[in-house]
Amino acid sequence: MNASGIKLGLGFYTALFIVFLYGPLAVLAILSFQTGPEGGPQFPIIEWSTYWYKHLFGLTPPSRIAPLPIEQALVRSLVLAVMTMIVSTVLGVTAAQAFRRKFRGSGVVFYLIVLGMMVPGVLVGLGMALVANTLGIDRHWWGTAFVLHVVYTFPFAFLVMLAIFNRFDPSVEEAAWSLGVTPARTFRKITFPLIFPGVLSAMLFAFTLSYDEFSRTLFASGRDLTLPLAIYGTFSVEVHPNVFAFGVLTTLFSFALLGTYAVLMGLSVRRAKRMAIQEEA
Amino acid sequence: MTMAATSHDTSVGTAAPSTRKQPDRTALLLAPGVLWMLLFLVAPILMMVYVSFWTQTTFKIEPTLTLKSWVTFFTSDTYLGALWTTIRIWLIVLVSTLLVGYPAALFVGLFVKNKTLSTALLVLCVIPFWTSFLIRVLAWRPMLGKEGAINMILMKIGVITQPIEVLLFSELSVIIGMTQIYCVFMVGPIAFMLGRIDPSVIEAAQDLGAGFWRIFRTIILPLSMPGVVVGAIFVSVMVLGEFATSAALSGRKVNLLGNIIVTQVGSLKWAFAAVAGVVLTILMGAVVAALLRVVDLRKEL
Repeated sequence: MNASGIKLGLGFYTALFIVFLYGPLAVLAILSFQTGPEGGPQFPIIEWSTYWYKHLFGLTPPSRIAPLPIEQALVRSLVLAVMTMIVSTVLGVTAAQAFRRKFRGSGVVFYLIVLGMMVPGVLVGLGMALVANTLGIDRHWWGTAFVLHVVYTFPFAFLVMLAIFNRFDPSVEEAAWSLGVTPARTFRKITFPLIFPGVLSAMLFAFTLSYDEFSRTLFASGRDLTLPLAIYGTFSVEVHPNVFAFGVLTTLFSFALLGTYAVLMGLSVRRAKRMAIQEEA
Repeated sequence: MTMAATSHDTSVGTAAPSTRKQPDRTALLLAPGVLWMLLFLVAPILMMVYVSFWTQTTFKIEPTLTLKSWVTFFTSDTYLGALWTTIRIWLIVLVSTLLVGYPAALFVGLFVKNKTLSTALLVLCVIPFWTSFLIRVLAWRPMLGKEGAINMILMKIGVITQPIEVLLFSELSVIIGMTQIYCVFMVGPIAFMLGRIDPSVIEAAQDLGAGFWRIFRTIILPLSMPGVVVGAIFVSVMVLGEFATSAALSGRKVNLLGNIIVTQVGSLKWAFAAVAGVVLTILMGAVVAALLRVVDLRKEL
């Protein structure tokens, strides 16, 4: 079998594939250092500068290019992502906990929850806007858009927790119960620490998905823009490298977030290991 | 059947009175999530179906039921065109993500024996997803444009003398953009399924003298099919609901159902938007239902 030749070929292909994934982002990052304000969003780089980064923070003299409306939008997006993260993680953990016991109609409930990540955002967004219009409710990012964000992220949290509980050894809980510990205390002291890595993943999922979500937000958020909506607004006008600079900064922010997640995950895994050792001793 | 169920219930009730509270606890745990989904997912979609039958006048809609919006949709070239474009783009992107993604998944899932390395490669594929979706879409503009990176490189190395203009603001640019953005959703599930293949099965086939292609056809491909289907579900759901990529990369030349909905909402034509929404829902439901017939999502978890 000529497996080594195939392996080499596939390896080369995978390298190309990764170039395909990263190429546009690399080009975007390079062009964010275009000179301003006359430099455009294309090659060649007239002169390297950090003009567009300064432009983002309003540190440049006024020009005809309007600054991105990111300041307020950033705060809104972060608050919305935190709200979504908390609510969808709580819903995800409780629902997955319920699924540990067989019950009638579990299939229907499962698909009802998973439907939330299946239905395109533009549809729920439209539906929610129609409901709000009919009932005379004002649309706000913290109201109508928020509930839709949870509709979207709750299934992810639920699936993550379901996978965690599938690999969960219930005998430790049973041991606690048989020793007369109340279910609530068992959950707090035994179950929760053991599922904590899953909870962290669910939180990360919910936060990043909500932070980046815009198709649900577009119709449901009313007048005030969230961050993705501010970027979407630039689609219809001329694109300037300030959007690219902003892209680089948000990517760095996401990496910081990912780093925090990795550290927390490492700590919780280490703690779980330490607990396991104590148990053995 | 019913007899057995009742006798089972009573035996539980008498033997362990403490477990009788369990069904209540399950219901209690489920109630918030189910309620949330019913109120904020099912109700809006039902509302959309209802509004699609409302009467649309120039500036407002009235809850007088009529089929007029539906008739308008199915007699208009714009709307029907958008429906066909949506189906065409969906199929092309589905095939292209599979073709582009499968070899990479094959390498990561099967050929990289080192667990750390294969995890690192998968993480490398996922990292771009921490950049905003809209920024990733926009990133294709300086790549594909007339003065974009691809044209510049091709001109420098002398492959072309004139910039290729069809690269940006065309259907091709939408397909390229969507393929890059969504192919990882194909790679992930497939690599996951390939990683679960027992290496001894392949070794046995090798010992029996089977060549790579034969092993691929009879073992690898069938065993990776659940991954392909799961990936296809992800990609389908996302591509069918798309409107941003086509808005940013086609220069308004490619209109998907999503774009129709956005435009109609923008001009307060709620009933038309609702009709397009219902058509999109039916299309999506049919696609997902068909794919779920092939593979049971709950079992693959």
